[in-house]
Amino acid sequence: MAGWRAAMKISPLRNHLHRSRFPPGNPIPLAMLQAAPDEWTIFEAAHLLRRAGFGGSPDEIKLLHSMGRHRAVESLLVPTEPVDAFPLPDWANREQAVADMKARLQQFQETRRATRGMSAEEEEKFRRNSQQEQQQLNRRHGIEGQGWWFRRMLKTKAPLREKMVLFWHDHFATSLQKVKQPVLMMMQNELFRKHATGSFKELTHEILQDPAMMLYLDTQTSKKGKPNENFAREVMELFTLGEGNYSEQDIKEAARAFTGYQLNRFNGTVTHEPRQWDDGDKTIFGKTGKFDGEGVVDLIFQQSAASELVPRKLWEYFVSENPPEEGVDALAKSFREADFRIEPLLREIFRSKAFYAEKVIRNQIKSPIQYLVQMLKELELADPPQAYTMNAQQQLGQVLFMPPNVAGWDWGKAWINTNTLLSRYNVAGFITKGSQEAAKDAPDDEAPMMDMQMDRREAMRAGAMQMAGRTWAGPDFEKIAPRSLREDPEKLVDALVFRFFQAPLGKKERGTFVEYAVSKKGAIFTNKEAGELCHLMLSTPHYQLA
Amino acid sequence: MKTRREFLRSTVLGASATWTVPMFVERTFADLHLGARDLATQAVTGKDDTILVVLQLAGGNDGLNTLVPFADDAYHKARPRLGKKEKELIKLSDHVGLNSSMPFLGSLFKEGNLGVVQGVGYPNPNRSHFVSTSIWETADTTNRSNTGWIGRYFDNACPGADPTVGISLNKTQPESFGALKNPGVCLSSPELYRWIHGGGERAQAEEFFASLNSPEHDDSPVDGASIDMPAGGKTGGIQGEDNLAFLERVAMDARVSSAKILELASKYRTKVTYEGTPIARSLNMVSRLIAGGMPTRVYYVSHGGFDTHNQQINSHDRLLSQLDGALKSFFADLKAQGNDKRVVLMTFSEFGRRVSENASSGTDHGRASCMFLAGEAVKGGLFGKYPSLTDLDAGDLKHNVDFRGVYASVLEGWLKTSSKPVLRGDFEKLGVIG
Repeated sequence: MAGWRAAMKISPLRNHLHRSRFPPGNPIPLAMLQAAPDEWTIFEAAHLLRRAGFGGSPDEIKLLHSMGRHRAVESLLVPTEPVDAFPLPDWANREQAVADMKARLQQFQETRRATRGMSAEEEEKFRRNSQQEQQQLNRRHGIEGQGWWFRRMLKTKAPLREKMVLFWHDHFATSLQKVKQPVLMMMQNELFRKHATGSFKELTHEILQDPAMMLYLDTQTSKKGKPNENFAREVMELFTLGEGNYSEQDIKEAARAFTGYQLNRFNGTVTHEPRQWDDGDKTIFGKTGKFDGEGVVDLIFQQSAASELVPRKLWEYFVSENPPEEGVDALAKSFREADFRIEPLLREIFRSKAFYAEKVIRNQIKSPIQYLVQMLKELELADPPQAYTMNAQQQLGQVLFMPPNVAGWDWGKAWINTNTLLSRYNVAGFITKGSQEAAKDAPDDEAPMMDMQMDRREAMRAGAMQMAGRTWAGPDFEKIAPRSLREDPEKLVDALVFRFFQAPLGKKERGTFVEYAVSKKGAIFTNKEAGELCHLMLSTPHYQLA
Repeated sequence: MKTRREFLRSTVLGASATWTVPMFVERTFADLHLGARDLATQAVTGKDDTILVVLQLAGGNDGLNTLVPFADDAYHKARPRLGKKEKELIKLSDHVGLNSSMPFLGSLFKEGNLGVVQGVGYPNPNRSHFVSTSIWETADTTNRSNTGWIGRYFDNACPGADPTVGISLNKTQPESFGALKNPGVCLSSPELYRWIHGGGERAQAEEFFASLNSPEHDDSPVDGASIDMPAGGKTGGIQGEDNLAFLERVAMDARVSSAKILELASKYRTKVTYEGTPIARSLNMVSRLIAGGMPTRVYYVSHGGFDTHNQQINSHDRLLSQLDGALKSFFADLKAQGNDKRVVLMTFSEFGRRVSENASSGTDHGRASCMFLAGEAVKGGLFGKYPSLTDLDAGDLKHNVDFRGVYASVLEGWLKTSSKPVLRGDFEKLGVIG
C-alpha cells in the first residue's frame, strides 16, 4: 500500500483550484486523493468497468475506453438510463401490493368467519391450508424478485447504480427469510436504487421506517415499556458508527426512542404512534431530550465516526482491503463536507491514481454475484436460465435478498474455500457447456447418495436444473471464438484471454491454454471444443479476480 | 516458519520435485481404500484417533429455555409468557431441567454420556452476534486474533497433516478454522465436490486442469515479515497471504481432497434414518466421512436460527427438537459403524439471552449460556454452577465458567494436546472429559 500513501498528497493549492470548479452547493473536500490523467489504457478502462460495474464484453470495454477516463467516470456516476427503466413485476407495484394486502386482510377475516364453530383440529387444518397457498405465492414472488434484480444487473446501462444497490443491500442487510413478504424486499430495493449514489444520511432516515427493515430488526414490535434493542444496536454498530463508538447505555436509551413506529400490514404505510412511543427523556451520546427515532438518527450523524464507516466500506468494496488510515481520514473529511453524499466520494475514488494502482488492478476476489454477472457479460449472454442462476447463487454463497445476517456478507477471501471454488468451476462448466458430456455420464453409484442427501425441495430444484441443462443453448461461440481465429491457437487464446481476464496473463497460464487449444484443434475445432477451452480458462484461480 | 506446502516439498518430495498430488496423501488414501473395502468402516491408520465434532448454534441460543432453572421463582417472574413449567421438562436435578423438545439428550444424560456445562461465558461479554461469534471462534476475548482456536490446534498439533484434518460442512469457512498453515477444507455436498469437465479426453483435460490449479510460485506466500501483517479479513485463510496466492492454495487443496472425499463418502451406506433438516444432513455427511475413514480430527457443523427476538416459543422449541433428532440419528449411526467411542460432540453459541422476555414474546441478546458435550468418552452430569437469576449484570446472567476452560478440557482430555499454545493461556479445566 506504499504506493497509495505516496499518491495521497494533500495540496491546498490544488484544492483551491478545485474549489472554483465545483458548482455552489457541492461542498469542497480539503484533502483530495491525487487524480489520474484523462488519458488511460484499455486495461484501466476494463478495471473501471469491472469495479464500478460488472465488467463487459470486449466491445463495451473499447467503447468506455474511447471516452477517456473522466467522461467514462461521469457516464457511470450520472447514467442516462432512468431509474424506472425496468418495469417491476406486477405484484411488486405499490398499488397492486396494497390491493394484495387488503385481499389478505379480507381472507384473514373470512378464515375467521369460516372457522367459527369448527373444532380446534379442523380450524388448524383450515388455517394451515390457507397459509400454505400464501406461502407458495410468496415463494414464487421471492424467486421472481430475485430474478428481476439479477437480470437488471446483467442488462442495465447504469451498472454503478446496481453495484451501489448491492452495496446498500449488504450494508443495510435485510433477509427475505425473516421478512417473508417479497413485495417489501422489492420496495426496499427501490429505496436503495433511489438513493444509490445520493445521501447516506437521508437513506438512514428512510431505512428507519422501511417496512422490510422494521420487520427484520423488530422495530415493528418494539413498544413503550418493553423496547426491543435489535434495531438500536445494529443501526449504531453496523450501519453508521461501528463497534466501540457508542455505549451499551446509548443503545438502551436509543431503543426507547425507536419505539412507536408502526407498519400497517394492510397498506404498507408506516406511521409514528404516540401512544406506543416512549416519550420520556433519554440520554444518548451525552445529550438529553425526548428523542424519537428521527432525533436519534440526527444525533448519530453528529458523531465523528458516522463519516468514517461508510467511506471505509466503499474503499473496501471498490478498491482494496485494508484501506490506509490517511485515505479513510481524507475521504471521511470529504464525506462530512459533502453532507454524506455518495456521488462526490465515488468521483474522487474513481478519478484517483490510487484506484488504478498496479497493486489494485485484478486483485479483488469476485463476489459470487460479481462472478456470475461478469461471466455472463463476458460471454455475451443476456438470458441465462433463471433456475440455474438462482441455484448458482446458493452454491457460491450469495443469494440476493438473503444475506446471512444483519452484518451482510463476508467479502474477499471469505468467498473462497475448497467447496465454493470447485462450485465456481462447475458453474462455469454449465454456462459454457464445457461440462456437458460429463454431467450425463456421472457414475451410477453416486445416484443413491444424491437422493439421500436431498430433501424434496432440493430434488425438485435438481430436476429443474437438469431441464435447464438440456435446453440451455450456451454462448454463441461463432462470435466468442470466431472460426477465423481457431486456425491459429495463439490468436484464439489471446482473444479469449482479453475477453475473460482483460489483462496479459502469466506465461504458464497462457502456455497451458495454447497447448490445450492445439491439442483440441485436430481436424476441426467445433463449438463444443471452444466451450471446453473456455471452461478450462474459467477454471483457474486467476479468473476469480476482478 | 514454513507453510504446509513448503513442509511437504522439503520433507516428502524433495526440493526440486514438481508439484503434483502429494504422494503421502495418495498413499494414505489408497491404504484406507484397500482396508476399508470390505468393512466399509475405518480399519487402518488412526483407528484410535479421536474425533471432535463442533456444533454451532448460530444466533445466540436461549440457555434459559434450553436448560431451565425451574426451581427458581425469578425465572417464572421474568418470563410470564415464555417460561417453561416444571412438569414440561426433563428433570436433570432438583434445580434444572432440559427442554422437553430434546428427549434424546435427556436419555443420553441418564446414560451418563451427556455433560452439561452451566453458566458459560467470558469476561466483559459483547452482545454483538458478530463480535461475540468471533470471540468464541478465535478464543480471544479482545477480538484481535486472526486465527481460530481450531486452526491453531491444526497448526500446533497436526504438523504436515492433510488439508482434510479439518472439515467444515458449511458453505463458508468458520473463523475457528483460521490458521497460519492449515485451515482445513470446506464442503457442503460431496457429489459436486469435484471438477466436472466434458469432452472425449477427460483424463487429458484434467491434466491441464491440474497444472492450472497448482501454485505457480514454489516459494511460500507467507514468510518472514509478512506474517506480522494484518490479514485481509477474518477467514480460513493464511495470514498475510495475497489474494492470488490464497486462491492458488485453495485450488490446490480442493483438487487434492475432492476425488478422495467423494470416493470415501460414497462407500458407506447408513442404515439409520435422518430427518431432512440441514443439521441432520450435515451430521449424516460427517458420519459417512468418519465411516469412510477420513483422517479428519475436527468436523464443524452449524444449526442456525437462534436469534429469537420475536415469538420465540415455537421457533426455539422447534430448533431444539431438530437438534435433538439430528443427534439421535448421528449417534445411532456411529454406534452401527462401531465409531461411537471415537467421537465427542460439543455445542456452542455466541451468547445466551436476556433473562426477561421482551414485548415481542422473544428475548434479546444476553450473556452466559450452557454448552453440551456428548459422546461415550464424556463424563455425564452437570458442570459449573447455574448463574443466579437475581444477581444480574445489566439484566443478564453472569458467567461462572470461561468457555476457554471447556475448550482446554476438550483439547487436553480428548484431542490429547497441550491447550496452552492453542488457547494462548492457561484455563481451568472441567472434569467433563478425559
